[in-house]
Amino acid sequence: MFWQQLINGITLGSTYALIALGYTMVYGIIQLINFAHGEIYMIGAFVGVIAVAVFKLNIFIALFMAMAVCIFIGVTVERIAYRPLRRSTRLAPLISAIGVSIFLQTLMTVMAGPQAIGFPQVIDDQLYHLGSVTISKVQLIILVLASTMMIGLQLIVKYVKIGKAMRAASEDYDTASLMGINVNRVISFTFAIGSALAAAGGVMVGMYFNSIHPLMGVMAGLKAFCAAVLGGIGSIPGAMLGGLFLGIAEVTGVAIGYGGYRDAIAFTLLILVLLFKPTGILGRPIQRKV
Amino acid sequence: MNKKLISLITILIFSLVVLTGCGSSDTKGQQGASEDTIKIGFLGAKTGSHASYGIETLKGMQMAVEDINAAGGLLGKEVVIIEDDHGSKNSEASTVTDKLINNNKVVAIVGDPTTGLTKIAAPIAQQNQVVLLSAGAVGTGVVEIGDYIFRDTLLDALAAPAVTKYCAEELGWKKVALVTSINNDYSVGLSKIFKNALDKYGVEIVTEQQIKDGDTNFSAQVTNLASKEFDGIVFTGYYTEGGLFMKEVRKQGMDQVLVGGDGLLSPVLWEMGESAVEGSMVYTGFAPDPNTDNPKTKDFIEKYKANNDNKLPDMFSAQGYDAVMLIADAIKNSESADPKVFRDSLAQTKDWHGVTGTITIRENREPIKSPVYLLEVAPTADGSGREWKIKAAIPVTAE
Repeated sequence: MFWQQLINGITLGSTYALIALGYTMVYGIIQLINFAHGEIYMIGAFVGVIAVAVFKLNIFIALFMAMAVCIFIGVTVERIAYRPLRRSTRLAPLISAIGVSIFLQTLMTVMAGPQAIGFPQVIDDQLYHLGSVTISKVQLIILVLASTMMIGLQLIVKYVKIGKAMRAASEDYDTASLMGINVNRVISFTFAIGSALAAAGGVMVGMYFNSIHPLMGVMAGLKAFCAAVLGGIGSIPGAMLGGLFLGIAEVTGVAIGYGGYRDAIAFTLLILVLLFKPTGILGRPIQRKV
Repeated sequence: MNKKLISLITILIFSLVVLTGCGSSDTKGQQGASEDTIKIGFLGAKTGSHASYGIETLKGMQMAVEDINAAGGLLGKEVVIIEDDHGSKNSEASTVTDKLINNNKVVAIVGDPTTGLTKIAAPIAQQNQVVLLSAGAVGTGVVEIGDYIFRDTLLDALAAPAVTKYCAEELGWKKVALVTSINNDYSVGLSKIFKNALDKYGVEIVTEQQIKDGDTNFSAQVTNLASKEFDGIVFTGYYTEGGLFMKEVRKQGMDQVLVGGDGLLSPVLWEMGESAVEGSMVYTGFAPDPNTDNPKTKDFIEKYKANNDNKLPDMFSAQGYDAVMLIADAIKNSESADPKVFRDSLAQTKDWHGVTGTITIRENREPIKSPVYLLEVAPTADGSGREWKIKAAIPVTAE
């Protein structure tokens, strides 16, 4: 039972991690908490359902489509709602983000209706038994896809030119642009990757939990934000670790009989981390630049 | 000269507005009666998570009003329904109730179909001395709010023990798992009633699990169930979570079915749960029984089918219909559309034959209704979908 619950926790945690990556990358570069990120995840889930249920596409093509649509939306949101405010106070883009978030929620509520929608059964849910532990095909797919994406992201950031540019921009935005880096393009790219991962998370969550609705991004977004802060905001491995940690903590809470407190667990953890290690698990202490 | 005239007119208009304003607040109750229509308010959700209850209730109410007006109206006046939408939000329920009473001057409100929101609205109706009749609230603590608050629905306190008895004696259940949605007033109350009833009929609760309305991930709770042995799941929450919960139960390889209250009564249950909810049982105060010998029920089912693409009515539409009819009968009997007057007549309802069965309002304004229907999710005959099948009609006795 312990191992079974651990698997439940890791599956949930890896979906949080996928969303948390978007928060952490955007924060790393432009110090913005993109509160519309949860809605990108929600739209990803809806695109996935439309692709699977209406166009009868393969789930992997649906996943790809959701990612493509969300890249477009993420980049557009940045262009319209954040870029014009980049030189204003830090509060302005934050408020703009909240506005975008509410706009997207309302838009989807009007378009798709307020009821929860079932995600069609796309993969025959085979169960694999390993001793006393059962793992489903969907869980396996989520784990494999999520870890592939996270490793891929880590490789891009470490070894690819645009990834290096991202790191440079996150180190010092102005100096990077003086060195000939097209910072606007780097930021657009960051939003694109973050949105793609969130969309993938949305489709996987829809597939795993069988239900999507227009407000699903709110709680998931807040929890992913918690995960990013837990791991150390700005740190990519931190976001993954924070997501897993949060997923496992939440499932543990439910497993020992506090199912009603599952949402509170995330935020209690957040408060504790902020009290005792404000930079998060993998966060570096902030150095003043001279 | 001209200026003086204008200011005089202004003063006149102002004093008129002020005077009529005072007048209306003094005679709130009679306001509805003095007009040429009798207004009945609908309090419920047309959007949001409980929308399917509200929409069905409203359909039933509209059918009742059509029938009343076709037969010449009430006290020579036309009956109209004032509808609004609180979007399943607790925060909107009181605003809507207030608007119905103070802006629209309704004489009675039918709603809300859920216990939680009825409890929010009822104190407002009580304070303004307007009759509120809930056509769906089955939890405890509703009519206790005041002597203007009624309901026409089968009470959990009577139905759940009857169903528990059936499960224990007819189905031979000895052990159950109990699942409660802790941010849902109805579910918390129903779990308490079930606990007492299970205890009374010697059924053991092997595990209790908590969920929340709005949750979609039940893997941890279901894993907790997997390590136990039990005959069935008593699930007291709503349909969305019920369907998803059962899907997870099947995913983790268990084959028990669930039994629950009318909070699960919606096709969304199998839209969410698909084959996982087949065999699951839900009790309700009304079922469109084709073999019924009640002519009113027969008429209602036929008329509903004709208006709704041959679909069958559910408990909410039937109780919405009965709610309006009960109020109409009370108004007719007391020959007044003043809530202060017809309230008494409503409170004395005895052996009243409605679409949903026989209703008697007891001294404490709680209804007794018989029978309770136990419905089961079954595949349709052509295999293309799923439907409710009547599994049993269990008689209900008071206390």
